[in-house]
Amino acid sequence: MAERILKFSDAIKEATDQMLAEDKRVYVLGLGVPQGAGGTTNGLHEKYPGRVLDTPTSEASLTGLAVGSAIAGLRPIVHHDRVEFSLLAADQMFTQAAKWNYMFGGGNPVPITIRIVVGRQWGNGPQHSQALYSMFGAVRGLKVVIPSTPYMAKGLLIAAAREPNPVIILEPRWLYGTKQDVPTEMYEVPLSKAKVVRKGKDITVVAYGDGLVSSLEALDIIGSKASVELIDVVSINPLDIATIRKSVAKTGRLLCVDTTSEAFGIGSEVIAGVMKTQTLKVKPVSLACPNVPCPTSTSLTEFWYPTKVDIANKVLSMLKKGGVKQKLSFEELHLAPSLTLK
Amino acid sequence: MAVASTKKKSAQENVLLKAYTHMLKLRVAQQELVKFYLDKKIFSMVHFYIGQEAVAVGVTDALTPNDKTMGNHRSHGHYLAKGGNFRALICELLGRSNGLAKGKGGSMHMIDKSVNFAGSTPLLGSVAPLAAGSAFEQKYNKRGTVTAAFYGDGASEEGVVYETYNLAGLYKLPVLFVIENNGLSINSRIKDRRAPGYDLKKIVEGYGLTYERANGNDYHDVHDKARALVEGIRANHKPAVLECMVYRHMAHSTPLTEEKYRNDDTLEKRQQHDPVKNLAGELIASGVPEKKLVALEEELRASMQSDIAFALKSPYPKKKELYTDMYSN
Repeated sequence: MAERILKFSDAIKEATDQMLAEDKRVYVLGLGVPQGAGGTTNGLHEKYPGRVLDTPTSEASLTGLAVGSAIAGLRPIVHHDRVEFSLLAADQMFTQAAKWNYMFGGGNPVPITIRIVVGRQWGNGPQHSQALYSMFGAVRGLKVVIPSTPYMAKGLLIAAAREPNPVIILEPRWLYGTKQDVPTEMYEVPLSKAKVVRKGKDITVVAYGDGLVSSLEALDIIGSKASVELIDVVSINPLDIATIRKSVAKTGRLLCVDTTSEAFGIGSEVIAGVMKTQTLKVKPVSLACPNVPCPTSTSLTEFWYPTKVDIANKVLSMLKKGGVKQKLSFEELHLAPSLTLK
Repeated sequence: MAVASTKKKSAQENVLLKAYTHMLKLRVAQQELVKFYLDKKIFSMVHFYIGQEAVAVGVTDALTPNDKTMGNHRSHGHYLAKGGNFRALICELLGRSNGLAKGKGGSMHMIDKSVNFAGSTPLLGSVAPLAAGSAFEQKYNKRGTVTAAFYGDGASEEGVVYETYNLAGLYKLPVLFVIENNGLSINSRIKDRRAPGYDLKKIVEGYGLTYERANGNDYHDVHDKARALVEGIRANHKPAVLECMVYRHMAHSTPLTEEKYRNDDTLEKRQQHDPVKNLAGELIASGVPEKKLVALEEELRASMQSDIAFALKSPYPKKKELYTDMYSN
């Protein structure tokens, strides 16, 4: 088969298009959805009349309406363009959708998918670039996934839209321009499973989303200096700790890459989950963002997110090998990548 | 003519007697719970509905069985009015595995899809968008049915409710928002919570929705207005708000009648406007023998006591149930 290179945002649109075609119960709503939602829904409004809806800037209400319609049997896909705005709908996500089936003793599914764009973006600062992964990971009753590639973005969205439970997809905005060979046909990526992206034997690197892409780039820097097993967390709720434990049992070393503050982070959760049952060759390391809000000035954000060079050097130092010196350009540090992933 | 008129009168009496029976059922059900609650037999927070029965029954009688209703933390009445099962309700309150929600929900989580009671949630205004979502589904699938949501004056101060008036109007949803205004949000009086000049009618009509205010102590007034609004919703796809002025006879979440935080809604006034007592008076005045009403009450009470006895012998959920139902398969 010839390769078909698709952008991350186009992969989301293709999955949405195919779900709308497959299942009449599926509809899409959110502020600006008919206008495209960052290139993830444009054109669908005309193709599926009455099923791709604009909304008032009323996050709580539109999310609650979607939850109510899911309870009644529809399969809404909600779009929130920033995680900060989605928090206005916290009650509807965390307390209504997440608890509905349990609190009514089962038999009351809430088949809703909520897409929330999160994280890194130049010039957006403390109130427009949070990720808040751990908040979503902590709420029982949700399934929460983070796509790291266009392939995952499509497959996770299809799996979410076919799922009888509330699924939150936290989409790193940083990755919207990345590209990959994506199959035309519909396929699912399992919601609750981590994925071993690269096999190795010296060290386990656990990452997700934009950190996973940086880790893939770090592997190119490391080259043959180390054999790295790279795991994509994919699901933070529930967390597939078994897959990570299995890898660490083999490598005896663990590095977690977080693209948000370390406090109560995914890395902390992974390390705790591993250390409960395993003894490592060296202390586990969490490479994360500092425990302060993400600022706006590029001269400060330069030190906020771990870079591919930081990841490579941390891996090498954990293996007692000499590091690399590589200076990243302004573009590499501050502009979202448009690289084509394998 | 005379025969037709008598027949009509008798039919009306039957309708009214049926409404009274439903309201009395709600009343007796609540009364029977009081003892168990005070004896700490019920470990589920109960918000008593005594005094507000005309709203649940008046609104529900304006709907068809295929229409849906949703409620809040104070929803025993809303559920029973929709044809709910008291036995399943009391099993739920006592935390038994044969309760409405297998003991996982409790008093604030009534649900029974068999009678189209689509669920209740104690997050107050939350029910407004959920009900709008239910109505969205009804419209999306061209069902011709409506959804009614019950919430209080406190809930209606939450932002999401105002948002939902706009959204429901924008999408032309078949939804009736029923506000039971008992003048108290827990113990905070409405006059301490609303800006001078606050006018819900203006607000609701400003969103393009229809607004009606009813005397919530009067079955006739609630029912007539609810019926007119529901007809309008079905015909014009224009959502509506029905604000029912009621008295909460008991405290927020205990069956006591604390008076210290009350202002105008004195015990005397509450008793004077008691919807159940007043409807009984009307029936007796129209010729229904008082004995018949007494017998009705005794019959309801006996039936509920037998349901409670059944519930007390019902099994508790097993420990493994802790881990089931978080996700649907």
